Amino acid sequence: MAKTPAIGIDLGTNYSCVAVFQHGKVEIIANDQGNRTTPSYVAFTDTERLIGDAAKNQVNMNPSNTVFDAKRLFGRRFDDLPVQSDMNHWPFDVVSDSGKPKIKVDYKGESKYFSPEEISAMVLMKMKEIAEAYLGAHVSNAVVSVPALYNESQRQAIKDVGTISGLNVLRVISEPTAAAFAYGFDIRGQGDHGERNVLIFDLGGGALNVSVLTIEDCIFEVKSMAGDLHLGGEDFDIRLVNHFVREFKRRHRKDLSVNKRAMRRLRTACERAKRTLSTSTSASVEMESLFDGIDFYSTITRSRFEELNADLFRSTLEPVERALRDSKLDRGQVHDIVLVGGSTRIPKIQKLLQDFFGGKQLNKSVNPDEAVAYGAAVQAAILNGDRSEAVQDLLVLDVTPLSLGIESADGVMTTVIKRNTTIPTRQTQTLTTDSDNQSVVPVWVYEGEGAMTRDNNLLGKFWLTGIPPAPKGVPQIEVAFDVDANNFLNVWAVDKTGGEENTITVANHKERLSNAEIERMVKEAEGYKEDDRHKDRMGAKNTLSGDKIPEEDRKKILDKVNDAFNWLDTNQLREKEEFERKKEEMEVVCNPIIIRLYQTAGSAPGGASGCGPTIDEVN
Amino acid sequence: MVDYYKVLEVPRNADTNDIKKAYRKLALKWHPDKNPDRKEEADRRFKELSEAYEVLSDDKKRKIYDKYGKEGLMNGGSAHHHHYHHHTGPDMFANSFPG
Repeated sequence: MAKTPAIGIDLGTNYSCVAVFQHGKVEIIANDQGNRTTPSYVAFTDTERLIGDAAKNQVNMNPSNTVFDAKRLFGRRFDDLPVQSDMNHWPFDVVSDSGKPKIKVDYKGESKYFSPEEISAMVLMKMKEIAEAYLGAHVSNAVVSVPALYNESQRQAIKDVGTISGLNVLRVISEPTAAAFAYGFDIRGQGDHGERNVLIFDLGGGALNVSVLTIEDCIFEVKSMAGDLHLGGEDFDIRLVNHFVREFKRRHRKDLSVNKRAMRRLRTACERAKRTLSTSTSASVEMESLFDGIDFYSTITRSRFEELNADLFRSTLEPVERALRDSKLDRGQVHDIVLVGGSTRIPKIQKLLQDFFGGKQLNKSVNPDEAVAYGAAVQAAILNGDRSEAVQDLLVLDVTPLSLGIESADGVMTTVIKRNTTIPTRQTQTLTTDSDNQSVVPVWVYEGEGAMTRDNNLLGKFWLTGIPPAPKGVPQIEVAFDVDANNFLNVWAVDKTGGEENTITVANHKERLSNAEIERMVKEAEGYKEDDRHKDRMGAKNTLSGDKIPEEDRKKILDKVNDAFNWLDTNQLREKEEFERKKEEMEVVCNPIIIRLYQTAGSAPGGASGCGPTIDEVN
Repeated sequence: MVDYYKVLEVPRNADTNDIKKAYRKLALKWHPDKNPDRKEEADRRFKELSEAYEVLSDDKKRKIYDKYGKEGLMNGGSAHHHHYHHHTGPDMFANSFPG
């Protein structure tokens, strides 16, 4: 098998994760820092662009040019309510570019505007590079996961992000479906369980996904999906931030929310406190000189945290109820409730869910941070034609997350494909005219659950013309909807009496980037990569060049390293102690030189920048 | 006229469990993901399977189908036999485009 494997990427709101299926099993790939998840952060400075850990590590220093949450802007208009409300919490600027949201940052002394797709493409590219470093080969194909309730334009946007980052997206997979793969793999090893009804509860940083599946043998049949695109760990952090802002105001009569840097530091501290509260009953927040030179020390108990988020926590059950209703299963018929996503570590959320299912034990067998990437990697292997036994018989039958239909008379939504219909699918509806001798009918395609189209999302429109004169109600116009395995929709309309036909690929709708835009972004992405490469080269050159290391030191190190390699070549079978002695010998020579080097350069080894004024804010 | 029972390769008296089993077996065979070399045919076959399964796995829809065939289920399955025979009657097309 000479083919490079396709990778699975969980492009998360907060963190991303990449995995690959090879040699019959899935491996989660650690990044250059040794971490198995990578922050979905991109930062811009006067000199460089940083992605992942490096970007998140400097967020407190550079809040307005460190971009995160780009995923929350996907397929959205600037004026959309969630965008407007999120903007209040973001330290970076979002502006409207003919109605589309663009993120404004200062990069190398210039103002730059990036679409959320471009920012996400940078993260995706980083994930691709992590995989390439591990595999030692170029990777071109990937399966990328999206929240269950992502609509058609948001799914298309992910495909575009892939193109910009140089990846061919084989499949846009729903996150809970991917997580189910991880779970299914897990139970498969434990003998035959027959048919199992499984509910995946996936609460991450930005979104809640719920799906109900039936797993039998190797077939994963999704019954229903539900969720909340705007509910997750980020929202819990914000509640904590607001709590401490109020406390600060009470104690010091000052509003720290006017200061971006103070807010960002507080948010970082709150995120950490929240994590602590999953295992401890109280957490402390300590920040020197938070605002106007005032130190801020406080504690928060788990019960207070739960109180602050009570309504949000409770609302996680609504999608559970909806998914169950749509699956036509009772609570008692669910065999396994599987927890996925970092926020499912919150004890209160576990308790609410467990109580909802009458005290049933929750399944924590999959890694909540890695399950989605794991499943995406399995799907990638299947689609890439991997013939290994482990994936050969696996099949996922996915569904449409939202109902799809057209507008009929009086703005009524006529559903053609109901939500939770197995894909790929093709369905038709026959409609007629509303007035005598009507020669043209508008075919406006919508997605959503509203009874009226004004409550739903317009995907695209076209007109069917040339209908021969006839009294109203006589012509028979068939509208066919075709959804492929990626949940991408095509619509046809044909006048069965007259024979005129018209088609639309709904993919080409208003929210989507045009081909020209994508082409431009691909070029620019290459440009940024070139910048990074240049930067890396300069960095490497600087550290090794004679400017920094005196010639005699450099020679000393090189001699010692060569000596060590020669020794290794001829002493493959020595005892562990001997290897260690040799290593120490080398360190005695090299370390003083390296330490001197860093002292003159004024930074710590490894390039880690200071992350904040106090130690407790590092991480 | 497609025969949903033939599509799923089950007898007309098959029970729900047989139908489910037959669907899953054929889905594994015909899902486009499993047939990269004949995507178009697989796509068509899979859609037929799903359509047949959607009807035969639902007792109410299956009864209508058994009695009136596929046309009994057109436009949301709401047409009962009274409307069903009047193909061009106004009731048949409850939905019309905006004029």
